[in-house]
Amino acid sequence: MKQRSRIADGPAGIWFLGLAMLVWGVIEPCVAPAVSWAQHGPHAGQPAGVAVGQPAVAFHLKTLEGDAIALDTFRGRPLVINFFASWCDPCREEMPVIKELAAKGARGGYSVVGIAVEDGRAAVTQYASEARLSFPIALDSSSAVKRAYRIFGPPATFFIDAQGTIRDAVIGPITAERARLAMQRAGALR
Amino acid sequence: MMICPERRRKGRTISLAAITGCLALAGVIALAVPLDWASAFGDLAFGPELRIGQADRNPSSPFLRIAPNGRLYAAWTESDPNAPSAPKVTADPSHKKHWMITFDMRVVLLASSADGGVVWTAPRRVNSATEAVQGEENEPRIAFTPDGKAFVVWSVPSEKGDKSRANVRFAMEEGRGGFTPSRTLNEIKDTARFPILERSPDNTFLTAWIDRRVDSPASRAVYMSRIGPNGQEVSPSYKVAEDICDCCRLELAFTDKGRTVFLVNRQVTAEQIRNHVLRKSTDGGVTFGAPVTISDDGWQTVCPHSGPAMALDHRGYIHVTWFTMGRSLAEAGVYYSVSRDGGRSFAPRRLVHANTAPEILHTRLAVGSDGTVHLAWDNLDGAGKAQVFVRSMASDGTTFSPIQQISRARENARRPVLALSDRELHVAWTESEGETSWVVMRTAPLKK
Repeated sequence: MKQRSRIADGPAGIWFLGLAMLVWGVIEPCVAPAVSWAQHGPHAGQPAGVAVGQPAVAFHLKTLEGDAIALDTFRGRPLVINFFASWCDPCREEMPVIKELAAKGARGGYSVVGIAVEDGRAAVTQYASEARLSFPIALDSSSAVKRAYRIFGPPATFFIDAQGTIRDAVIGPITAERARLAMQRAGALR
Repeated sequence: MMICPERRRKGRTISLAAITGCLALAGVIALAVPLDWASAFGDLAFGPELRIGQADRNPSSPFLRIAPNGRLYAAWTESDPNAPSAPKVTADPSHKKHWMITFDMRVVLLASSADGGVVWTAPRRVNSATEAVQGEENEPRIAFTPDGKAFVVWSVPSEKGDKSRANVRFAMEEGRGGFTPSRTLNEIKDTARFPILERSPDNTFLTAWIDRRVDSPASRAVYMSRIGPNGQEVSPSYKVAEDICDCCRLELAFTDKGRTVFLVNRQVTAEQIRNHVLRKSTDGGVTFGAPVTISDDGWQTVCPHSGPAMALDHRGYIHVTWFTMGRSLAEAGVYYSVSRDGGRSFAPRRLVHANTAPEILHTRLAVGSDGTVHLAWDNLDGAGKAQVFVRSMASDGTTFSPIQQISRARENARRPVLALSDRELHVAWTESEGETSWVVMRTAPLKK
């Protein structure tokens, strides 16, 4: 009796703890999957997103011809990066806009680079020839650059100013009008 | 250090209470064990990685299926050894650049295994021509006659190499170890891709593809063709669905002795909302009813090359999995739902795995004879590499297993496919590093 009363009025907190553990024992198996999902949740452990106003993420790739190409290659002048794929219909539909930007690049003092993602060298080479793409095209075989720019898939176009800061980004197909606005923001159209 | 008797008694009481609490907890956990997936159903213990295909020919885009005789079949694509393997680049003064074009010529290969994928037959080439067989979401598909003869469909780009203006090819085993000459199923040139093929319980075959014969920049249509039991008679293709996403794989399933056919696809509304839908045919696939939305995800963006997967169980439940970006980045992930009323409605979607980063994911499922649903998909791991994950759901429709990562790719493991027998679950996928790829398969025995 003495002991029981001590248990009752002494370490009540311990019994409460035991009860709480007991309750948790019942609940935990039910909620465990949700906890594990949360650990796999959006952007867990990922770097902050690429955004307008942030520095463009550096990349080092090879062109279709095998030459090294990097973000630094274009430092000092505005740059348009177009992520595309040969199998991507919207990419094909927007490509005339990108080609036009590229055609005016030399005169306008800016550069255009295409980064082919989730695609093969032969298919991209064939497409580049068929579409007569004259700007440098890099192959992002591992998807590392695509992931660094945090895009779900092509097409996506980033507009970077001469200081290497992202000034605009169009996720999805781009129109000529939208491109003009983006170019102004990147300081490529004066 | 001295401890007074009262404190010692108190300490004993505390210890006793703590031990009691722990024992109670242990008891509860023991009682709760039937709720736990691992104890009730068993973790899937996957065996070692097996590689399929010839390593120096960049195997990719596998498809797995169990034949009626129980053999495991794999189809995949490889570089054609008779075709040039790499494009050459030459300068051209008339343009800034000029490329000497070489297509990525590939072959469709088929092999089978009687022991669950340990020992395979020598691969047999399916396609007769040298052509640029497509892969990824366009992987070759196999179906079997009741006596085990393989029918195969695949996609090839247009003569100009345009993958979005493609053609659907078909060949079948001719009974002497080879395949019939490839034949094109779409009557209108350069309009068909993403073919699928399933055998109906009436022993005819239905093939379906995404069709762009009306070449508007808007959405596409689904066309079907019925192939006779011996593979010779092929019906003219006919339209069964409109306003569908132009690059997201389809799935077909049969019930009711083939009279009822289900079709799932990603639908595109006039507002460019891209939800997944199910269509039902009650006349064996001749006509289909209005689409039923599986989940109002509200995804409003361009084509991801990621389609839904569907399977029916013995109760007639329709299980579906798909990837969506939803209405915001936070919603993006692989989802699952089930229809328990023959496709009239679907349960609220359940998240299978959230996107760990912006990335298009690809998901498949298979349903066992006991109603257990097995899902496989790709997602990025903590290091930003694409890996293959699996999890299962008990036939109660609520108990999910933990997520298992079954690939250890150094760069990318993508687009898993499944095959399920009563004894084993097989998962295959394409793994790649740089411009090199290979096909990996792992097998897990199923706990009885």
